[in-house]
Amino acid sequence: MENLIMEETKYTPSINLDAQKGLIELVGKSYPENTFEFYKPMMDWVEEYFNGNEQFITTINFEIIYFNSSSSKLFFDFFDLIEEMREAGKYTEINWIYDKDNDSALETGEDFKEDFEELNFKLIEK
Amino acid sequence: METFENKLIDEIEELQTKFTKTTQKLIKDVKRQDNIMARSDKRQQQEYDELQRKFAEVETLQKEIEDTQKEIVFTMGAIGESRSKETGNHVKRVAKYSKILALHYGLPETEAELLKQASPMHDIGKVAIPDAILNKPGRLNEEERLIMDTHSQLGYDMLNSSDRPLLKMASIVAYEHHEKWNGKGYPQGLSGEDIHIYGRITALADVFDALGSSRVYKEAWDDERIFKMFKEERGEHFDPRLIDIFFENLEEFLKVRDSLKDVK
Repeated sequence: MENLIMEETKYTPSINLDAQKGLIELVGKSYPENTFEFYKPMMDWVEEYFNGNEQFITTINFEIIYFNSSSSKLFFDFFDLIEEMREAGKYTEINWIYDKDNDSALETGEDFKEDFEELNFKLIEK
Repeated sequence: METFENKLIDEIEELQTKFTKTTQKLIKDVKRQDNIMARSDKRQQQEYDELQRKFAEVETLQKEIEDTQKEIVFTMGAIGESRSKETGNHVKRVAKYSKILALHYGLPETEAELLKQASPMHDIGKVAIPDAILNKPGRLNEEERLIMDTHSQLGYDMLNSSDRPLLKMASIVAYEHHEKWNGKGYPQGLSGEDIHIYGRITALADVFDALGSSRVYKEAWDDERIFKMFKEERGEHFDPRLIDIFFENLEEFLKVRDSLKDVK
C-alpha cells in the first residue's frame, strides 16, 4: 500500500501516513477552507489501511497547535473510525501532543480522551 | 397450546433496536457538536481578547512613535530659534498660524496638522550660520546678508534626504519660506503658485510673528503697522488668497498670539 504524505501549508498540517511503519501523523495547524474535502484523502487512506494493510499496532500522533471547529468535528469522526477498528480487533496507540501553554489543544485532547474510553489515548505535554 | 409467533413483532423489535441505536448516535453527535461549539466560542473569545490587547499595544506604540517624532521635530526647530536668541514661543505660534492658514486654504486636516508640525523647522538651517551674523545687533551688510540667506538652502539640504513625510514637508518649508509671490524672494526666486503652498503659508505665518515680536535688531511693530504692510504686500510678498484668509479670520490669529505670549 502506498504511503500518503502531504506538506504543511499555512492552513493545513503536514500529514504523514506510513503503512509500513504503521504510523498516522498530523503536525501543524488545521483550519482549511473546506475541512472535509481536505481530509478526504486521509480518511480514505485510513479506511483502506485498516482493511487488511495494517500493522499489528498502529501509532497515531496528533500535534495540532491550532484548529477550527470543523477540524474538531473531523477529528471526532476520525476517532469514531479508530474506535470501530478497535472493536474489530485492530490495535492503536494515540498520542495527543500539545504545548503546555496551549490550553485549547489540551482541552480538546481531554474531550477526545473522555469520549473514546475504549481507545489507548495519551495526552503528552511537549 | 402453541403460541403463534407473529413475525411482525420480530420486525418491529428489530426496528426498535435500530431506532434506539440511531437515536443514541444522534444524541452523542448533538452533544459533541454542542461541545465543539462551546470550545470554539471560548477560544474565539480568548482570541478576540488577545487581538484587542495587541491592537491597544500597537496603538500605544504608534502614539509613542508619533509623539517622539513631534517632540524631536519641535526641539529641532527650537534649537534653530534658540541660536538666534528667539523664544520657543515663536516656533509654537508659527506652527499654529500655519495650521489655521492651511485649513482655511482648504488643505485636509491631516495635512494641515502635519504642516503645523513641520513649520517649526523653517529656520533649522540657521544652526549653520555663524553667531556673529545670526546675533548681530543692527543691520547686516551685503556679504553678511548673503550668508544669512543661505539658511534656506542649508535647511533644505539637512532635511531633504529623509523619506519621512513630515521631514519632506519640513524641507519644503525650510527651502521656500523666503520666496515671495512676486518672484523677488530667495533662494530660487520662484513666483506665484510655483512656490509650494507650504512655503507660502509659512512665509506669512513667520513674518506675521516676526514683525509682532522684538528682535535684537528691531522693536515689535504694532498691529496697525503690520496690517498696513500686509495689505500692501498682498500679491507682492504674499499669496493674495492667504492675505484674504488672514484678514477674514484675524480673530483666530490674535487668539493664538494672546495665548502664547513671550515671557519677558
